[in-house]
Amino acid sequence: MEQSRARAFDEFVAARWSVLVHLARLLVGGDRHRAEDLLQESLVKLWFVWPKVADDAPEPYVRKVMVRAAARSGQRRWWGERPVEQLPEAAVVGDVSADVVERSRLEAALAQLSPKQRVAVVMRYYQDLPEGQVAEALGCPVGTARSHAARGVAQLRQLLGNVNEPVR
Amino acid sequence: MDHFERQLARMMRDTEAPAPFEPKHRERLRAGVRVRCRKRAAQRAVGSVLAVVGLSVGLFLLPGRATRVEPSHPGPQPAASPSLSAPPATPDASLSAPPSSGTSTAPASPGETAASTPPATTGSAPTATEILPGSTEGVSPSSTSAPPSGTATARN
Repeated sequence: MEQSRARAFDEFVAARWSVLVHLARLLVGGDRHRAEDLLQESLVKLWFVWPKVADDAPEPYVRKVMVRAAARSGQRRWWGERPVEQLPEAAVVGDVSADVVERSRLEAALAQLSPKQRVAVVMRYYQDLPEGQVAEALGCPVGTARSHAARGVAQLRQLLGNVNEPVR
Repeated sequence: MDHFERQLARMMRDTEAPAPFEPKHRERLRAGVRVRCRKRAAQRAVGSVLAVVGLSVGLFLLPGRATRVEPSHPGPQPAASPSLSAPPATPDASLSAPPSSGTSTAPASPGETAASTPPATTGSAPTATEILPGSTEGVSPSSTSAPPSGTATARN
């Protein structure tokens, strides 16, 4: 029973890991470690409700947990970062490609937004969710969610300028 | 949705990098689940301990309340019946009050009244009234002997 649960959970996580990590990176503004922390916290919560949501919709549950945690992250002041003498990982030579440049630009711009603006923009433009669901996830009225998204997009417009077609 | 917003949505979707679920991620996830399990067990234990403490404190305080309430219950209060039986006796006593002290002492002592009342509650008053007009000769009880003396003093 427990093994079958663990196996099904592992299969789900392995199948959706890449998508969920990308969403987490967008939600936290590009920080990979924070994104993995956010995703892990959400998946741990998923584990305890897995028997209930496994058959229905585990991914929307994880997404909702991640979004709410990311929206609350503005109230959190410390992320457990500690200064170290050496960087934990070095940049790989040749890693700089057009996709990486574009992703870095996008993540740097998203990082400039407030957590709620970022969440509203990501939910609205990446997940294509209606404003009602954005408001529900943010825990605010629809007008406030619309305002967060509009201000976020306006700030991104300034930061990114005119986004042209991808350089490939 | 204008051009910028469409490009923004495209950027968000296209910049997804493949990230495999590695064994280190699995181990970290398992460790997180174990930590959370322990935390939940600890919370449950603390909660049950608090519940037991609360129940024991409640049970400890409960008898105190019972003892406080207990004296308020007047247990052997049927002494109300002698008081009911006394008024029928008093009219006769008021009639015979001045001379005979035996009739006045009879209601004063509750023990004696309690002993004499069971017959006096229902039977003594009528019997006294019946005895009064009739012969008052040789009946030993004090209540029966009192009325003749009362009537005698009243006439004097």
